[in-house]
Amino acid sequence: MTWKDGFILAFHGMISNKLRAILTMLGVIIGVAAVIVLVAIGQGASSMVTSRIETLGTNVIFVSPAAGTPFPVSETNIVAHALPFSLQVVPSMNTGSKVSTLTTQGSAQIAGTTPSYLRLGGISLAAGHFITPEEVSASQHVAVLGANQVSNLFGAQNPVGSSIMIMGQKFQVVGALNAVGQGPGASQDNEIFIPITAAQTLFRTTQLSQMIVKTSNPNQANLTADYLTNLYTNEFGSSTAVSVASEDQVLLTLQATRATFTNLLAGTAAIALLVGGIGIMNIMLVSVTERTREIGIRRALGATREDVLLQFLFESMTMSLSGGLIGVIAGLGIMHLVPLILKTPAVFSPAALILAFVFSTAVGLIFGLYPAIKASGLDPIHALRYDG
Amino acid sequence: MIQVTNLVKDYTLAAQVYRVLNGISFTIPQGMLSAIIGPSGSGKTTLLNILGGLDSPSAGQYLLNGRDVSHFGPDEWAHERNHTIGFVFQSFQLIPALSARDNVALPLVYRGIPQRLRRIRADEELEKVGLGHRIHHRPQQLSGGQQQRVAIARALVANPPVILADEPTGNLDHATGLEILEILRQLSQAGKTVVIVTHSQEVAQVCRQVIEIQDGHIVTNTMEMEHSL
Ligand SMILES: Nc1ncnc2c1ncn2[C@@H]1O[C@H](COP(=O)(O)OP(=O)(O)OP(=O)(O)O)[C@@H](O)[C@H]1O
Ligand SMILES: [Mg+2]
Repeated sequence: MTWKDGFILAFHGMISNKLRAILTMLGVIIGVAAVIVLVAIGQGASSMVTSRIETLGTNVIFVSPAAGTPFPVSETNIVAHALPFSLQVVPSMNTGSKVSTLTTQGSAQIAGTTPSYLRLGGISLAAGHFITPEEVSASQHVAVLGANQVSNLFGAQNPVGSSIMIMGQKFQVVGALNAVGQGPGASQDNEIFIPITAAQTLFRTTQLSQMIVKTSNPNQANLTADYLTNLYTNEFGSSTAVSVASEDQVLLTLQATRATFTNLLAGTAAIALLVGGIGIMNIMLVSVTERTREIGIRRALGATREDVLLQFLFESMTMSLSGGLIGVIAGLGIMHLVPLILKTPAVFSPAALILAFVFSTAVGLIFGLYPAIKASGLDPIHALRYDG
Repeated sequence: MIQVTNLVKDYTLAAQVYRVLNGISFTIPQGMLSAIIGPSGSGKTTLLNILGGLDSPSAGQYLLNGRDVSHFGPDEWAHERNHTIGFVFQSFQLIPALSARDNVALPLVYRGIPQRLRRIRADEELEKVGLGHRIHHRPQQLSGGQQQRVAIARALVANPPVILADEPTGNLDHATGLEILEILRQLSQAGKTVVIVTHSQEVAQVCRQVIEIQDGHIVTNTMEMEHSL
């Protein structure tokens, strides 16, 4: 039997029993479609995260203390002048708190910071102005609201000029931010920014939560991170208590996380494909039993054991290949619907498509092998006598 | 030509050995129309299956057209059946999913003959057995006699020198049985060796050689001489 005959035969078999063929292929169809869609969602999520990070720039370093380590505001100046090139050092003092207006209430992340925070990038003003140097030196009770805080507390109204209560103290809203969106930077949408001086009295501490350091040249970021680590080890003797992470490192961590995420999704889909393969094997085993007599007839007419083996192998492979093809089409279709329905981006991955296709072919081959071996091993006399 | 010498076939069932064929020897010349008769369970089908290589003897020698095929393995036999033997069965043994044409063409598939040529050959053979107008019918759409004629066309499509038929008329009415027998008789006259296993005296009478077996032994082997010359 030639390869061409094998495929023609398998194809005719499939057409002559369409419902069964579809049911047999269903597992592979779902598996392949799942690989394509889930990987696209995984890639979409990570591309969103990465693009958010990239808007901040790769020249940002985060310095944060471990719990219980002193990290006073006064260190801001030391760090700012520690290196021979200019550094922008933004102190940040954070805490969660209830907030309210006369009519509404909610919760927010309160961040005490300085005007330079705006220059880190990533946020922009929708109305009013950001904290000014004058407001910081005068320790004024003014606040700038993240987008979610605006909508939670004021709805569609312009909040600028209104007052809000934070920890029992009255603050005047002087600015509102544009929405940042999802991703790790999304916290800014839930934040309320106040002058760091006001925060010190409000929180009753001089302890910083974080120092955000920005170099003017991206090439200086890693050098600065190294220098700061060194500084904290030697001058303050607390390298383990303070962690210094450059944007690059954060990005690497995120990439590792996203790779794990994508692998997890791909793994889930691979299991679906495996289940599809077992489905093919089951139906092929039933098919071999049903067609025992046919196998006997073919053997009586001159088919070798290899001919029979190939016939059934072609059949399972045609089945899984067709399932793979339908799965690819279905997967691409669903992938285009994902952004509309789930409101998350989906990024097509050619590698996932090729992988899914290769995998489904392999599934047909591997799971078709056992039934095919069984068919080829049948004794022709018994097969001819079989009535089923 | 078929020559067997001291053919023995044992079946082992539940540690008990049953000797189904016990020293069978005969010769069937080329072009002979030969009947194997005997009571039910005497081993006729077993013998025919051994002649076609579907079953293997426990002992003895088998020469097919002068070649010793006693020790052929399953795949050598597959090739041998494809080239030298045409099978006709009592229950027709057609593949239900295939048309008459594709059923007939089956042996050619295993010779690697392209589909176009297979169809031409199959249609020719169906024409010869009077089914030229039924090539697209499935087996269920044909009468018993028509199905058996499809089976004969299939046995002939690869032009083998030997036809083995196990009760080819057993599932047919009297008149249809005689038609099938006539086709087989003409084949032997055309030079093919035709071996028919049968219960029917009428069928046996048409044959020029009659081998009768009982309990695995040959009791009579009569051959009519060629008088017609
Ligand atoms: N696979 C087997 N295992 C054990 N015994 C078998 C097997 N096949 C056949 N036999 C036995 O061999 C004997 C001969 O069987 P066979 O089918 O050759 O008889 P037969 O002459 O063709 O009978 P019938 O005229 O009824 O078709 C029977 O007793 C049968 O039970
Ligand atoms: Mg029998």
